[in-house]
Amino acid sequence: MTNSDDLALIIDGCKAGSGESFSRLVDIYASRLYGYFYRLTGNRELSDELLSELFVKLVVKIGSYKGGAFESWLFKIATNIFHDYLRSKQRRKKLLEVRKKELKSKIIEPKRSESDRIDKLQIQIKKLNADTRELIMLRFYSQLSLKEMAEMRGEPMGTTMSKLHRGLKRLRELME
Amino acid sequence: MNNRNDENLKELFERFVGADEAQSAVEDFAAAQRILSEHPVPGPDKELIAAIKSEIAETVRRSKERAFRRMAYKLVPVAAVFIVLAVVSIKMFVGNGGPETITYASITPMPASVWVSDDVAADDFELAVLTAQIDELEGQVLTLELGEDSGNGRSAVTELEVELVAINSDFW
Repeated sequence: MTNSDDLALIIDGCKAGSGESFSRLVDIYASRLYGYFYRLTGNRELSDELLSELFVKLVVKIGSYKGGAFESWLFKIATNIFHDYLRSKQRRKKLLEVRKKELKSKIIEPKRSESDRIDKLQIQIKKLNADTRELIMLRFYSQLSLKEMAEMRGEPMGTTMSKLHRGLKRLRELME
Repeated sequence: MNNRNDENLKELFERFVGADEAQSAVEDFAAAQRILSEHPVPGPDKELIAAIKSEIAETVRRSKERAFRRMAYKLVPVAAVFIVLAVVSIKMFVGNGGPETITYASITPMPASVWVSDDVAADDFELAVLTAQIDELEGQVLTLELGEDSGNGRSAVTELEVELVAINSDFW
């Protein structure tokens, strides 16, 4: 885990246009952001695409980061990218095509593995409504506090906590 | 930094709900956390990470180029104005004859052409007047010498010669 001082230095390096600093940010956050996108889309190729888009956008936007919780700022961008993706009809079409391919590949290759366990959770997650799903994934992958999540979403803390609790309770029921 | 690990969930929930419900919420949070941890997502491929880093390096390079061009676009007009001003100043300076020429011209008491001229009288009005007077006297001398004077010719010639010497002395 990178401490705040190290992270501040890395961010300063990024603002100065250091490719090395950006690489370090990728190393620190790629897995969590990938997990966030994967849980929201359920698709690896799309997660790859969204993750790439996020980091390229980060290079352009890093100058606008004025301090505060970096994770909150970063996951806000990630959330916006995901919302952009949802709005994009072209991407939806692409997703359908990719899912068709996935379905075909599952029929051809029905072996049980680690991914089946992953898929079980993914299937249950899809039963939650979009906002709750996003809230749970934000909580789990961003490591933001409830207060930061509420601020990021622009809603009262009690509302965020209530929605999150309902969602987690539902997920627990579905999985057990 | 506010990290969720520092949060006391029970205390936070107790602000909004009763102690029992808060305890239940904490348990639901922990259970969901456990479920998610037990179902890890596949990580990004190494190839993807390498491709992202490469794309970032390219974006950073393009961004630096754009920044340099923006700076150049701002500086070039300023530099051009300075160059134009410098060129105009030099042209105006040289057009006036330059410092040496101006100084030389202003301290010269008489145009150089005067010194090289054969016709001194034409270059100076006073000289012209004196020359005319001398010519007139020469004419009178010639008249007297030719015997055209009807009066006391010898003394008149002497007087004229004295006058000529006087004029000559005054002039030089």
